[in-house]
Amino acid sequence: MAPPTRAEEQPLAVQQARFRRLLGWLRTVPGKVRALTLLALLAVVGLFATAAVFVSNAHDGLHVIGHGAGPQVVATGDLYYALSDMDAQVAGILLIGKDTTLGVGQQQALATYEKRRAEADTAVMKATDLAQGDPAAERTVQAVLDGLGQYERLVGEALALDEAHPHPAGPPSGKVISLYEDATSIMKLRLLPQAYNLTLDNGTVVRRTYEDKRSAVLSGRWWVLGLGIVVLAILIGLQIFLAAGFRRLLNPLLVVATVGTLVLIITCVVIFNGEAEHLRKAKQDGFDSILALSRARAISNSLNADETRYLLDPKLSDTYEQTYLDKAQSIVYVDTGTNLGAYYKGLSADLTAYSSNASNVKFLGFFGAEAKHVTLTNQGQAVASVLSAWGKFQQDDQQLRSMAASNQQQQAISLRMGQSGSSQAFNDYDQALVSLIKIHQDAFNNAIKDGDGELSGWSWGLPVAAIVLAGLVLAGVRPRLSEFR
Amino acid sequence: MPGRGWALGAAAALVAVCTAACGISGGSASVAGKKTLTIGVKQDQPGLGLKQSNGTFQGFDVDVATYIAHKLGAKHVNFTAITSAQRETWLQQGKVDMVVATYSITPARKQKVTFGGPYYVAHQDTLTRAGDSAIHNVHDLKGKTLCNAKGSNSFNRVATEKSIAAIGVPGDSYSDCVKKLEAGQVEAVSTDDLILAGFAAETNGQLKMVNQPFSDEKYGVGIKLGDIEGCEEINKAITDMYQDGTAAKLLHKWFDASGLAVNTNVPQFEGCG
Repeated sequence: MAPPTRAEEQPLAVQQARFRRLLGWLRTVPGKVRALTLLALLAVVGLFATAAVFVSNAHDGLHVIGHGAGPQVVATGDLYYALSDMDAQVAGILLIGKDTTLGVGQQQALATYEKRRAEADTAVMKATDLAQGDPAAERTVQAVLDGLGQYERLVGEALALDEAHPHPAGPPSGKVISLYEDATSIMKLRLLPQAYNLTLDNGTVVRRTYEDKRSAVLSGRWWVLGLGIVVLAILIGLQIFLAAGFRRLLNPLLVVATVGTLVLIITCVVIFNGEAEHLRKAKQDGFDSILALSRARAISNSLNADETRYLLDPKLSDTYEQTYLDKAQSIVYVDTGTNLGAYYKGLSADLTAYSSNASNVKFLGFFGAEAKHVTLTNQGQAVASVLSAWGKFQQDDQQLRSMAASNQQQQAISLRMGQSGSSQAFNDYDQALVSLIKIHQDAFNNAIKDGDGELSGWSWGLPVAAIVLAGLVLAGVRPRLSEFR
Repeated sequence: MPGRGWALGAAAALVAVCTAACGISGGSASVAGKKTLTIGVKQDQPGLGLKQSNGTFQGFDVDVATYIAHKLGAKHVNFTAITSAQRETWLQQGKVDMVVATYSITPARKQKVTFGGPYYVAHQDTLTRAGDSAIHNVHDLKGKTLCNAKGSNSFNRVATEKSIAAIGVPGDSYSDCVKKLEAGQVEAVSTDDLILAGFAAETNGQLKMVNQPFSDEKYGVGIKLGDIEGCEEINKAITDMYQDGTAAKLLHKWFDASGLAVNTNVPQFEGCG
């Protein structure tokens, strides 16, 4: 191979010459000043870009939990309630027979049935939305629609047959009961589990987003702190260099820039802390509690209907007593509640203990978890109201069953149907529970509103602050550089 | 030069802070990510979890556990025999990753372990001799001899909870109870229908299920307390198991011979807390 000619040596020599010129320039004072300034500007841009990333994380978290999937998931929770109330209305209509003045009467019950059907439709639409891209969820939604169709057909036949064979309040004919058993079996074994599982599954999206975004925002504090220290170090280094080189101790604009950066870092950290807390409040005190208590409300509704079924279908009365107990235990779990009688006793004892000392929560279940986790104002009072109303409702139930057992069918049915389709005790309990859910809903709304509010300025505030700081740095350095012209 | 020294120092600080920040995430491993899973199953319940002479395990619980582990992405599954008393402690101590052993979900247990599923809701039912026409439901057990297996709550369910005056005859285990039933020493055995079905299937039609179930037993997949991601993944796996027909297939495979009416619909999940 021939040695490199002068022509080929040229590019390498040119590069080496350029590099030597750069080093030489850096050794000059204006070169160093410019280099440090460039470093400072890059660091400032880096700091603000990083802060912007974490601000957007916080924003995403609030959006998903507060405006997107979060509310949608709560809405799909209504599906379980709507479906179970549809069945409750049907059971009520069959039980009152031609005695159409009992409860709210047949017409009103049918109207409620239609209303719940429409609510179920809306919830299914939201569920379909959430199920996009999740084949298993889509299949479940499809299965719910199919099952609902079959359920309605059977209910239609049962109601028509019952109308054709009028009977006084009490169990209808065997054929009607058989049709109802088939229908309610679809509800119990297929529709309700599928609806419940759908809400659980949808809730995982919210949980994952929450965990990701919150931990991102929390780690964002460290990032901003770290990069902020870097920016401060560079700015202070620049000022020390200028003070040493130019014998002017303070450069006012650079001092302002340094102090401004410090203020911004601290504000960022404080805001991120605040956002993480808003996210936590929205998720734990809001979303989680709303979901859990809504489930408890839907299960309570179904349990109330089990009283109707107990009276409607004497052949299966044992089963309905058992399902009633299972649901009651899931709402307020009493250790000794192995049968209904023991449950009433144990419940009374546990509730008495709780009412004398709110931290003495011996029971488990949905309300046990709620009673152990009282963090909001007025929540403790509301929980106590709900539990006391639950206790009264159970006493009511005990009375109903003893009436049914001692041949006082009509009284039992009157007690169950009440004035409004449910007994007064159940209505009071349901109202108390709705109030408790509202407390959590308010906490949720406030947390989201506060979180959004604190973030609202930052989408334009960060770039503006970056530009101002950069401008201050450049303006502070310019007079020194101009001395070299 | 002061400028360069400061820049280097700042860069070093940044690296240190980043390492600290990145190291903050961590936490204990979820079953959802593990490549090898150790699963506790029963070894003495035919049809559910039975240890074979060659050391392997067979049964509905074993098949369900295998399916779930596969869906979680585990490459290796080790089964180990577990007793009812060990289930919570072994999970807490990490001796097993999962327990699929006719493990009923109760609120008290939920304080100690997290449950995925349930994967099936069993019911308590009654097993009698095939020719016995006197027992049609649990109330007919009044005055009849009922086996009381050691360490089991099922006899109490009948005698105490349902207040049915059945005559208790002690047995060492459910195997023993079933032998006594075949031999005519008791008239009935009452416990979870899947357990009864497993035993009945082995007897070639000599025993029959009364098929009048009472009470719910939710069989869950026990995992370490707080492993919410694992619980969610297990629920997804169970949903798939029912949607792709595997659950129905397994239920028919193990329990058809006993005449048990199995429910092939996905059960209502407990929720992952």
